Amino acid sequence: MKIEILDSKGLKVMSVTGDIDMYSSPDLRKELMQLVRKKVSPLLVDFRGVSYIDSSGIATFVEGLKNMMTYGGKLRLIGIPEKIMEIFCFAKLDRVFEIYGTFDDACNN
Amino acid sequence: MKDCALITVPSDPKYLSVIRSVTVTMGGLSNMTDSVIEDVKLAVDEACANVIKHAYRGDTRQKIVVKFKLRKKGFEVIIEDSGIKARPELIAGRDLEEVRPGGLGIHFIKRTFDVFQFDEKKTKGNRLRLIRYLGGGNEDRNLGQ
Repeated sequence: MKIEILDSKGLKVMSVTGDIDMYSSPDLRKELMQLVRKKVSPLLVDFRGVSYIDSSGIATFVEGLKNMMTYGGKLRLIGIPEKIMEIFCFAKLDRVFEIYGTFDDACNN
Repeated sequence: MKDCALITVPSDPKYLSVIRSVTVTMGGLSNMTDSVIEDVKLAVDEACANVIKHAYRGDTRQKIVVKFKLRKKGFEVIIEDSGIKARPELIAGRDLEEVRPGGLGIHFIKRTFDVFQFDEKKTKGNRLRLIRYLGGGNEDRNLGQ
């Protein structure tokens, strides 16, 4: 898994590629929580390059979202691949996260 | 020799990718669709992650044995460890209506496999048997709903 933190159109974007699993999710958590501590909002997470996510990865994003909600922060997930979206739907997390198809959609809301 | 494969990996999370790769390869040798293979990959990964987390309590120096069997009736996975005995009666995922980190892994396993059974005869450690039945319309069931 690789994580890049980018600035695009004045917004912070966390671009994640590869597999998010029990091995890599601690690194994801570290990066995410650093941004949460800085009260970044909105934070956009680009999922287009994510090939796999397990329950530890999902838990990391749920934890990030819950922490961001304490200061009214927005966590927006972009370009979630179909198979991963199915997992979010099964876990009923599609109702909880702000999910967008494209970067522009996420920026315009 | 029966259609089967067996791998032994250290109880270190970095080896979960190896388990996933073999799961996909073995799934490809069965009659499962790509979508089902992805579900099986996630379920086996979650079961092995549970071994590391609960049976070995994070000790990365132990071992996990995963056996894959291709049967006419279905795809069988047997996961063995020598860690703390699981208590199946206490294994439950979180309420999916409740939004909090954790508690999803067991849902991912049980939604995919028709059989989720600990071998009570194993005295030390655990032997978890998972079976995904093939045919009978199971391949078409939509796990996303």
